[in-house]
Amino acid sequence: MEKFKEIIRQYPFLGFIIAFFILMAIPSIFFTDLYQSHLSSLIFINIIVAAGLNIVKGYCGQVTVGHVGLYAVGSYTAGCMFMYLGASLWITLPVAILVTGLFGVAFAIPSFRLEGPYLALATLGGGEAIRLFIENGEFFGSTYGISSISQPELFGITFDTPDKYYYISMPIMLIAIYFSFSVLRSSIGRAFMAVREDPISAAASGINVKKHKMLAFILSAMFAGAAGAVYAHLPPGYIHPNNYTVIEMVTFLAMVVFGGLGHIWGGIIGAVIITIVYDLTRPLYEYQLFIFGLTIVLTILFMPKGIGGFIDKYFIDRRFKKKQGVASK
Amino acid sequence: MKKVKVIFSSLVFTASLLMSTIAQADNIKIGVSFRMLSDVGYKHGMLIEDTVKMWNSQGGINGKKIDLTLYNDECKSEKGVANATKLAYQDKVHVIIGSSCSSVTLPMVPVITKAGVPQIIPHSTSSKITMTGSEYIFRVPVSSRFYKIVQGKFTAEQQGKKIAYIYVPDQASMVFAKEMIKYMKDEYGVDPVYQVQAGEKETDFRSYLMKAKAANPDVIVLSGLVDETVRMLVQSYEVGIPKSVHRVANSVASKVEVPTNAGKAAVGVVYSAAFAASDTRPIAKKFVKMVKSKYGVTPGHDFSQMQDLLDMLKPALEQVNFTGNLAADRNAVRDSIAGIRNFTGLASGPISFCAAGSPECRDGNKTPVMIKYTRGGKNWKTAVAGTVTFKPSEGL
Repeated sequence: MEKFKEIIRQYPFLGFIIAFFILMAIPSIFFTDLYQSHLSSLIFINIIVAAGLNIVKGYCGQVTVGHVGLYAVGSYTAGCMFMYLGASLWITLPVAILVTGLFGVAFAIPSFRLEGPYLALATLGGGEAIRLFIENGEFFGSTYGISSISQPELFGITFDTPDKYYYISMPIMLIAIYFSFSVLRSSIGRAFMAVREDPISAAASGINVKKHKMLAFILSAMFAGAAGAVYAHLPPGYIHPNNYTVIEMVTFLAMVVFGGLGHIWGGIIGAVIITIVYDLTRPLYEYQLFIFGLTIVLTILFMPKGIGGFIDKYFIDRRFKKKQGVASK
Repeated sequence: MKKVKVIFSSLVFTASLLMSTIAQADNIKIGVSFRMLSDVGYKHGMLIEDTVKMWNSQGGINGKKIDLTLYNDECKSEKGVANATKLAYQDKVHVIIGSSCSSVTLPMVPVITKAGVPQIIPHSTSSKITMTGSEYIFRVPVSSRFYKIVQGKFTAEQQGKKIAYIYVPDQASMVFAKEMIKYMKDEYGVDPVYQVQAGEKETDFRSYLMKAKAANPDVIVLSGLVDETVRMLVQSYEVGIPKSVHRVANSVASKVEVPTNAGKAAVGVVYSAAFAASDTRPIAKKFVKMVKSKYGVTPGHDFSQMQDLLDMLKPALEQVNFTGNLAADRNAVRDSIAGIRNFTGLASGPISFCAAGSPECRDGNKTPVMIKYTRGGKNWKTAVAGTVTFKPSEGL
């Protein structure tokens, strides 16, 4: 086991390949209906957004409440490219990532001068402005939305049902996580953390704070763009401005906070749990929003580091006990 | 001993699961997805729950109990699609009722069509929905393609052709205003004297209303959701638009909140809907009385359409011979609903469907009614200004 762990530590990509094969097998072993595939795709999309949000908020410490606007940019880039050019996901996905990355620059600029609640307000305004712009623009389908966005084709297979689309959203999610891990474990990730902890000290240590804030916003936006494009092509391929409101933003934030801000697995754990809990509480629609609000408040009060914090604590305790054991011997 | 216990409890669990599946397999399953955010939205949900409870207490349908699954889609397409997928594939319902918002119903159509589940729409009016050509979709309310004609014709011929339009960026509000603008242009060759799309959740419409007033219109079309319609009506008097300028609203004006909250400003407002609470037919009077006593509100056409839907659905389900084969049963339910002809309920006209998945066959109610508020406030009153029954292909 230790040897296996060592190999994974040396070649992290191997872990993702194993995860890929496990996730490939899951539907045929565990899924009993198409809804589970649909829900899984939603979880994967939320994971991509949350992983991105964790970069800018959890790692770089920038309070952004407008991420849902970037998610909308990704979706509408894909939607419009399909509507006007008939482009498939294979083209819309990279373009959406690039376009959203550019929007990330616009979101990053206020962070040079603003912090905390002021930055939150600026990004909130940015997110809402994007949604309202889409809603009022006939080019974007305004309140009619964009419908019948095509599903991708590969090797003659059209991924037009939830069970098939699972095999599109899942690898994209794994690639996103791998990319997120690679960035966060690199010198860039450490620089992000330094900026988060104390921008002045970080600058004194030679870290270009502005550059890293900008980078965090761009990377994070690219994740949102990828998620948005994957969502736009999700069967039945319909996007509407109503799906990019502040409520959705709060849900994304809840995922990151619940999972554990700044924890490498935080956004992922949060996205999985929140999406599943949301689904399970669907019949309790009268209390659903109340349950969510309460979850966020209780998490912040009693579990400020989220579930990721618990996991960290567990591993630290275990390592400590192990060392204690060795010392006593 | 521990092993035996584990095996025994697993067997009991599996058996109970099987028993419950067998017991449920015999039931008829109805799934619902619509907007249950407001007080009235919840009451629509309560109406369905109470009706199904009543059916079950009366012995169900042909001896089979009804299982009702109710989900809120919050008027969001993402949630509507998820609900439709869950109801179709996981809850395995025989029929879906929903949704309230056209922007939610529209993306639900490909989902239910692929899954082969019949869906009956209680509230969505956008003509685009039935134009998808799905064989599984049925609409109880009047389609926007009929509304635009009746409203356009009534306005042009009885109120005037100099029309100012103020609408909000909600799909139903926009469709109503834009389709009416197009109709007036195509039929009468007139352009709006003023038109503007207000911002989302805007509360002060006075600047738009002042501009509309400056255009000296005969008619002012105020197309918004409940809150916006109320504000626009009240503010139209605040900016001094005289009573002689006719106020027209979309079918949202049939909701109880509009006359209640707009008060005197609601008087004279004309709108087209599928039901008027002032309807003097005994069935309508009985319904209004029931809703008032049970749910504490005077019903608008959203309430009546939901009731009509349920009243139509029951006999349709009674005609189905449920075999236990889900796909076959769903198709049988679809065919049974498609067989409904001239259902006379609370709606302004008879509701009929037919076999083809075309708008002619699936837009059930072809009789919008023109309604005018004669009194506003809590004890509001309406009068029927006119009723027209259209040919199935009209407005396509």
